[in-house]
Amino acid sequence: MQRSMRLVSFGLAVGLATTLAACSESGSSGSSASGSAASTGDIKIGVVLDITGAGASLGVPERQTIEMLADQVNAAGGVNGRKVKLYIEDNQSTEDGAAKATTKLLTTEKVDVIIGASRTGPSLAMRPIAEKAEKPMVSLAANAKIVDGSKWVFKTAQNDRVVLEKMVDDMKAKGITQVAVARDASGFGEGIPEMLADVGKAAGITVVKVEKFAPDATDFTSQMTNLRASNPQAVLIWGIPPAAGLAQKAYKQLGLNVPVYQSHGIGNQAFLDTAGDTADGLRAPLGRMLVADQLKADDPQKPVVTKFISDFKAKYNANPSTFAGHAYDGFMITVEALKKAGTDSAKLRDALEATSKWPGVSGVFTMTPTDHSGLTKDALVMVTVENKAWKVAG
Amino acid sequence: MIDLLQLVFAGLAQGAVYGLVALGFVAIFSVREIVNLVQGEYAALAGLTAISAVGAGLPLLVAILVAIPITIGIAVLLERMTIAPVKKMTPLTSIILTLGVSTAVKALMLLIWGPEAKGLPTFPGSDIVLGGVSIRSQELWVLGVSAVVAYGVIWFYEHTVRGKSLRACAEQPVAARLVGISPRTATVVAFAVAGLVGGVAGIVGSPIYLSSWTSGLTLGLKGFVAATLGGLTSLRVAMLGGLGLGILENLVAGYLSSGYRDAVAFVVLVLVLLFKPHGLAGKSSAVRV
Repeated sequence: MQRSMRLVSFGLAVGLATTLAACSESGSSGSSASGSAASTGDIKIGVVLDITGAGASLGVPERQTIEMLADQVNAAGGVNGRKVKLYIEDNQSTEDGAAKATTKLLTTEKVDVIIGASRTGPSLAMRPIAEKAEKPMVSLAANAKIVDGSKWVFKTAQNDRVVLEKMVDDMKAKGITQVAVARDASGFGEGIPEMLADVGKAAGITVVKVEKFAPDATDFTSQMTNLRASNPQAVLIWGIPPAAGLAQKAYKQLGLNVPVYQSHGIGNQAFLDTAGDTADGLRAPLGRMLVADQLKADDPQKPVVTKFISDFKAKYNANPSTFAGHAYDGFMITVEALKKAGTDSAKLRDALEATSKWPGVSGVFTMTPTDHSGLTKDALVMVTVENKAWKVAG
Repeated sequence: MIDLLQLVFAGLAQGAVYGLVALGFVAIFSVREIVNLVQGEYAALAGLTAISAVGAGLPLLVAILVAIPITIGIAVLLERMTIAPVKKMTPLTSIILTLGVSTAVKALMLLIWGPEAKGLPTFPGSDIVLGGVSIRSQELWVLGVSAVVAYGVIWFYEHTVRGKSLRACAEQPVAARLVGISPRTATVVAFAVAGLVGGVAGIVGSPIYLSSWTSGLTLGLKGFVAATLGGLTSLRVAMLGGLGLGILENLVAGYLSSGYRDAVAFVVLVLVLLFKPHGLAGKSSAVRV
């Protein structure tokens, strides 16, 4: 019997090793992409998204958006007469997957520009590869580290710092000073409690407890129990759905009732579905798209947002999420720059950096040499949830 | 103290799900010495099927009553298609074989249901607070249903002629045949039981832990670890092992760091294989060699 058990364990080890090996097919194909791109023929846009894995609720609508927009651009005659061709890769929500996909796009497909990834971690893994190849990259993720000091990398989701500034304003108005934080353990949540303490210093805000959760975690009892024990005046949950929604649910179910703040990572239906009625009353700084019906008529974003929502609905029979919005901004800013500069890497980069007062779905973008994110806290509105729908907070 | 109880209780519910999956491993291994790595997929499959049924407008109970037989049917069908044709089955062959099947099932689930994790609606009932410990109604459902199903399976294997005849196949295949027990039927029944417990685990757990095409992998590995505690042959130890593993995970997540949660199961696995390869139950399994 002992032999049999040993055999079993050995077999299991062999089996697992085989899967792992199969999953991580050798990716490094050596030489970096170089040489000038052709100035005729199709424009090749590489797209790396979190289509499966923890980031699936972000990556799937982002892919849908980019496919829809590419069809629209091509139907309207392409960019300066050249068709846009997409090369979409799934990074499986992993850093190494993102790095591999980027390398493949740059060396094998020789794309002109890269869009992605959906989340911070994979985007950070892609940054050095794009920089080494000297190709422009537009990330759809949040953390400012993705673009800080980078020449070639841009991004469209609102910076986490901007989100925290908006949040701190709200906390200050409510007299909240003791905040407990539950954050995503991956790149998206990295450094958030520290940044909150820094941004909130002037308002007297201190972080009393920090808990982490894996982006694919499903049970949050342990984290919320610890937060409850720290007696905070408010709780900040910083994550993406479904984890952020499950955390919100666990929070209510453990009987905590101090106000909850959530990040701008929650703007989709998956969040409302997983959190259910426990989401009522939360506060989150989000882009204007989710409350498009409540925008003033003279809002510069209103026409863009309204058209995007109706196009997306007509094609996919669902409301677009804020992540779909980040993809819209990323893709359209790229297309605008391509129109101006063509596919020459350096010129395209300069054109991206010259984006100014461009009204997108997540805000009005103005890129500068020092700010490759382009949005300020004006791009955000304080949003709450009522009866499973987004509402501008009073 | 309240925090401790809170963590233990949440761990019990999580552990009950692991325990059910572990029962599935034992239900098959104690009959055919097959390590069935598809076990976790039954849970994912049942959860996703039920979610689709609810999405199609069926009431929750009906959706569950549809999803479980479908899962059992698929478990048996996969056995007929992939296990039955193999003439000389060893545990090693079974691992490689079922690993392949499980990968194929996962890919099919990804194609059918897409990559996003979804949850069933919570079962009827309201959350309660007991002495400061918040108890979610779904956790009570998980514990209650798991207890009934686990008791049923143990009773079937240990107290019915049919169940005992299953184990006879493993201990004395030739003698079992001589007295008229068909190993073929025995295998089918064992896979049906495995499909049942896996399916139940996937469905009661779905409102809290969600179902997705990948959820079977972790669940299967944790269930396997719990099953090894019972040397892959003791139903009782497997169930208790699952509960213990769930509690231990939650305590580690609560008092150390939630990042270590998923490591707990594998540390336990390594320790068990190093020091107690027959399982915690001791020598009871030696008779089966």
